[in-house]
Amino acid sequence: MWKYLARRFTYMVFTVWVITVISFVLIQLPPGDFVTNIVSRMISSGGRELTPEYEAQLRALYGLDQPVYVQYYKWLRNIVLRGEFGWSFEYRRDAVEIITERMPMTASISFFSFLFVWIVALPIGIYSAVRQYSIGDYVFTFLGFIGLAVPSFLLALIFLYISQRFFGQAMIGLFSLEYADKPWSWAKVVDFLKHLWIPAIMIGLGGTAGLIRTMRANLLDELNKPYVETARSKGLPEFKLLLKYPVRHALNPFVSTIGWMLPSLVAGEVIVAIVLNLPTSGPVLYRALQQQDMYVAAGFILLLSVLTVIGTFISDVLLAILDPRIRLQ
Amino acid sequence: MSDETLVEVQDLKIHFFTDEGVVRAVDGVNLTVQRGKTLSLVGESGCGKSVACRALLHIVHPPGRIVSGKILYHRRLDNGLSETVDIADMDPKGREIRDIRGKEIAMIFQEPMTSLSPMYTVGSQIMENILLHTNMSKKEARALTIELLAKVGIPKPERLVDEYPFRLSGGMRQRAMIAMALSGRPNLLIADEPTTALDVTTQANILDLMLELQKQYDMALLFITHDLGVVAEIADEVAVMYLGRIVEKADVDTIFNAPMHPYTQALLRSIPKIAMKREELDPIKGMVPSPYRRPGGCPFHPRCTKALPECSTIVPAITKLNENHLVECLLYEDLATRKAMERPS
Repeated sequence: MWKYLARRFTYMVFTVWVITVISFVLIQLPPGDFVTNIVSRMISSGGRELTPEYEAQLRALYGLDQPVYVQYYKWLRNIVLRGEFGWSFEYRRDAVEIITERMPMTASISFFSFLFVWIVALPIGIYSAVRQYSIGDYVFTFLGFIGLAVPSFLLALIFLYISQRFFGQAMIGLFSLEYADKPWSWAKVVDFLKHLWIPAIMIGLGGTAGLIRTMRANLLDELNKPYVETARSKGLPEFKLLLKYPVRHALNPFVSTIGWMLPSLVAGEVIVAIVLNLPTSGPVLYRALQQQDMYVAAGFILLLSVLTVIGTFISDVLLAILDPRIRLQ
Repeated sequence: MSDETLVEVQDLKIHFFTDEGVVRAVDGVNLTVQRGKTLSLVGESGCGKSVACRALLHIVHPPGRIVSGKILYHRRLDNGLSETVDIADMDPKGREIRDIRGKEIAMIFQEPMTSLSPMYTVGSQIMENILLHTNMSKKEARALTIELLAKVGIPKPERLVDEYPFRLSGGMRQRAMIAMALSGRPNLLIADEPTTALDVTTQANILDLMLELQKQYDMALLFITHDLGVVAEIADEVAVMYLGRIVEKADVDTIFNAPMHPYTQALLRSIPKIAMKREELDPIKGMVPSPYRRPGGCPFHPRCTKALPECSTIVPAITKLNENHLVECLLYEDLATRKAMERPS
């Protein structure tokens, strides 16, 4: 068990390091840099063209004239030693401030989406498997496929239209107007939670549909296994039997996917967040990538990746706790 | 019915209602299990023997259903009296049948590798059965589990009780299954091909163990198998099943020495005998017909070497050759009287 965890942990550290390299290289890949971006923006807005000397000065100022590996080294050193993620060219602030402003929002939406997905999908999946080919199963299958097929941003648009048309107010953002710029307080938290469920459900809906199908398929595989028959022949009540044996077995594959759910939730969140004007990390990351605001982009990518890796580690640990075959072999 | 009768299956029919048609997996089975005796149910794969024996616990998988018939269970009460309940009539998820399962009638299965859940320790799965049917504390149940594991010949039971099934060999797992079945002190143990998945040496050990425990616990044994060698070793009585019907039933000596039904005779001929030094195997000709295309008349007639012209139209009735020997075959029926009886109607 401990050996298994130690090995997993080593992999995790190594993976994070690889991610730092990849995310840094990735954001360097598009042609040009932030300075080219400024220049083209000034030209398009009718401003003067900058002299090459001034451009060079700017590059030197931001450290963009140094080779990539030097930039990478400085970036990583500052993160590890000082927790600094670099400077946002776009917002003229510390990148870390922008990230810490946005990440908790993303994390809470992700968390609630995740809860929503599991709370809704697992019971429905179990029902659909146990009552296979019943009317209920067909209804949920139908709804599930619609949920899979409809992109979440479309749902967001439909929702915007409905809230505007019938309730007279566009339910956008994560806060009511009166709290938007206020510091955190109990009232603001309540207000936040009131707004949270809408994007959480929209982002989660596609995942819910998928999870229902997977749970149904997993459980159908388990329901006819001999150990279920053994348990039934002992005289266990049917519901207890269902949860203790086949559902328990069918759940294991899910636990191992907890880690991957996070990036898919964040990716699904970007467009919904833009539509609903949510102050989460998705739109900022999207913009930073467009503007080549490299330290903000790299910081987000790094943090999201690290969260994913940690999520995977947690699901590995959970799996080991849940499944003795992994723990002991 | 004598006082020694434990379970009587009367004209049991279990049909599976599939999209392709109705499969009559069990089609009018009559069986009697005597207290403390071993009844062996023999037949080829797909003849309905597993479906029939699960019905004794009222475990029938959808789309299957008990269509008609009775499963009378004669229970001895503490005050010396006895009562009779009909298992076929019980709610398959209800309290009544669940109190019988695992306690009065227990079952072990063919696949010891998958019959135990890999998620829980062997001990906890046995204790579950004890806790379900008694008022024992967990500690007492654990002590009893260790005792039972020792009884079925598992070495170091106090250590293996906390072991997971996948760390045990097939034979050990089947022993653990037997310990689980015994934990309720059942009156009847149903064993569905319990040795088929094991190697020959382990098979012999498990059979010996079951026979010994049967004596110790004074329980009846319903042993399902297609292995006639095993039948010869353990059975008191044998019922031969073909396509959902019992075609012949007799004590074990009669079945082996004086089989009457052509199917039983063919089954026995198909066993290779070392002493006879025959070059070739003598299999039963033809295949088990598709469950959707049951032959009319006697279900065995297309494969039967002694079939009469009438066999394709007349379903044979039970003929009592003597007190203990029943057979369903037109060869032994008085066809003239039967025709005479049927003509007026």
